[in-house]
Order: sequence, then C-alpha cells, then structure tokens
Amino acid sequence: MHSNDAQMLVLTVLADGPRHGYTINAAIEDLTGRKLGPGSLYGALARLEARGLIRPADDVSQSPSQPQERHRTMRITDTGRATLRAELEQMARVSQAGLRALGIAPA
Amino acid sequence: MSAATMFTRLYPPAVRERWGAEIGREVASSGIRSWPDTLVGAGRLWLHPSDWPESAPGQTRRVLAVAMFTVVAATALLLRAAGPSTLTADPSRPLTSLWLGLILVGAGLGAPVPLLRWAAWRRLAGDAVGVLAAPAVAVLAMILIANSGLVEHPTGAVRAALFGWYWVTLGFTAVRLCTFVACLARTARMPGRARLRGALLVIGAGLVLAAGQTALTVTWSAPDAGLVGPALVLGLLGAATIGAGQDLRGRRR
Repeated sequence: MHSNDAQMLVLTVLADGPRHGYTINAAIEDLTGRKLGPGSLYGALARLEARGLIRPADDVSQSPSQPQERHRTMRITDTGRATLRAELEQMARVSQAGLRALGIAPA
Repeated sequence: MSAATMFTRLYPPAVRERWGAEIGREVASSGIRSWPDTLVGAGRLWLHPSDWPESAPGQTRRVLAVAMFTVVAATALLLRAAGPSTLTADPSRPLTSLWLGLILVGAGLGAPVPLLRWAAWRRLAGDAVGVLAAPAVAVLAMILIANSGLVEHPTGAVRAALFGWYWVTLGFTAVRLCTFVACLARTARMPGRARLRGALLVIGAGLVLAAGQTALTVTWSAPDAGLVGPALVLGLLGAATIGAGQDLRGRRR
C-alpha cells in the first residue's frame, strides 16, 4: 500500500479516538478488509508524528506483569483533523465526479 | 537472534526506540509474509530522515553522520573487494579521481568536530584507545606476518585462513571506525543541518560519479561483467545518499 494511503487510513481511525499500533491496525482491517504491514503502519505513524498530525496520548499503557509489553497510544492533533478533513473532502469531490462520469448517482 | 529482532534493528534508532517493541511483535505475529513490507518500511525511513522522531536534540544529525561514515566505509570495502582499476587514483589523470575527492570533501564536511576542551579531548583519547586498539593490533599483526617472510606462498588451508583473516580484519576495522564516529558524535560539535545536507549530497555525487565512471568503462573500453555489480551498488549507494540529503531540506532537525 502507498505510504500516503497508509497515513490517511491511520489518521481516519485515530479521528475516532486514541489507539496504539495494534488496535490501529485492527481498526484498519475492519475498515478495509486487510491489515497494513509493519513497515507501512509504523512508517506512517513516524511520518504523521514528525508532521505534527498525531502525538502520543498522555498515558503510555503498560502491562504490569510484562513491562516490555509497552504500547504507545497515539491521538490525532487539531492539525491532523484539519488535514484529514481537507483530504477527505478532496477525495469526496473526486469520487462524486467519477461516479457522475460513470452515470451513477452519488449516494 | 529472532527474525523480529533482526528486522527491528534495521530501523533508524529513533523509530526503533519508539516503535521497536511493537514492530517486533507485529513481525513475530504476522510471520514471513510481513518481511518484505517491514524491509521496505525500514529502507523508506532511512531515505527520509526528516520523518524520524527525536528522543534528544540533534539525534537525527548524529545518526546521519554515523550512517554517512558507514556508507564511506562500505564503499571502501566494496572497492577493495571488486576494485575497478578505472577508479584507482592516478595523479596523471586527476579528473578520473574526482569521485574520490568529492567523497573526501563530503566526509570532511559532515565530520563531528571535537570541542576545544581538555576534558573532551581526554574522553576522545579514551574512546579512541577503547574502540580502535583491537583493530589496530589486528592490522599490525597482519602487516607483520605479511612482511615477516614466514608465509611466502601459502596454499590450501593456510591461504584460506589468511584470506579470511584479511577480510575479517578489514570488516572489523570498518565497523570499529564507525563505532568511533558514533562515540565522537556524542560529545563533539555536530555539523548543522545545511552542512550535513551538503556533505550527503557531495558524497552521493562522488558515488554516482564513481558508478558512472565504472559503467562507462564496462560499456565502452574494457567489457568486464564483474564490474557491473560494483557499479550498480555504487550507484544505489549514491542515489540513497543524495535522497537522504535532499530530504533534509524539508524540516529543521
């Protein structure tokens, strides 16, 4: 999957609430029918964090019995929401134009 | 070492610190089908240092400086192994050595500069002894044996052992030199983003020039299938170095 697609998917599922890597991928699987590979998922997370579109949630969840089982919970930032909204609106415009061209009335 | 640990180690340190445990778990749970994506993800992150999170100020520049010297060391080993004669420095034809000049200038630009403090130099000397003593002894022993006359025309197992020792010593020395740069980067003044970017671009240009020079020779004057591989590797190293340097233009790190 293209890295920008992976970033869009991650932003989309994080818009619903903070999650860590595993649950982000589970939500992406629910949404698209397939998981992202580790390189795509964590590459997207690193890029989105570097661009300030997501940030770590305040709490870092940690299993008391297994300290090495540390998860970084991430949340979307206001900039991330604005970016996601702009991207989705653009995609919606493209989608509507494509459906019209095919003679299908957009829902 | 498990595959998950090995793949996790391929990621840039800052990404590994943040996501390493989770990457390892994903690779372990997804199995072999996740390997290509994990490899591509690691490669893509190395080419985009502006995407690396920073656990400490200047971490990206320190890691890039060490990576840059690792590329130079890998190039030296590659040239020693498959040394295209067209890349041999020739004072009578200085233009053919331009690639080497570019790599040396780039290395100088991107090198960490030790601070002018007694304590910093004392620490640097300690690091140098600790890290470089063993490869220095190995190289010295190799030179002594080569010049002692003890082994004139080795054959069979002796020849294989000496050949192996030679390459292990070269590889070990290259790794220790990069380790020393990493030690130096912890205490020295690191080059700024613009200078590091310049260093990467200049080294990349040198590598691409070396690749082009080798490819031209292979194509026109001295057809030699054995040089195609080194030319390709030099070209790829050069393109990757230029790509990483270009990416530094984006964000401040």
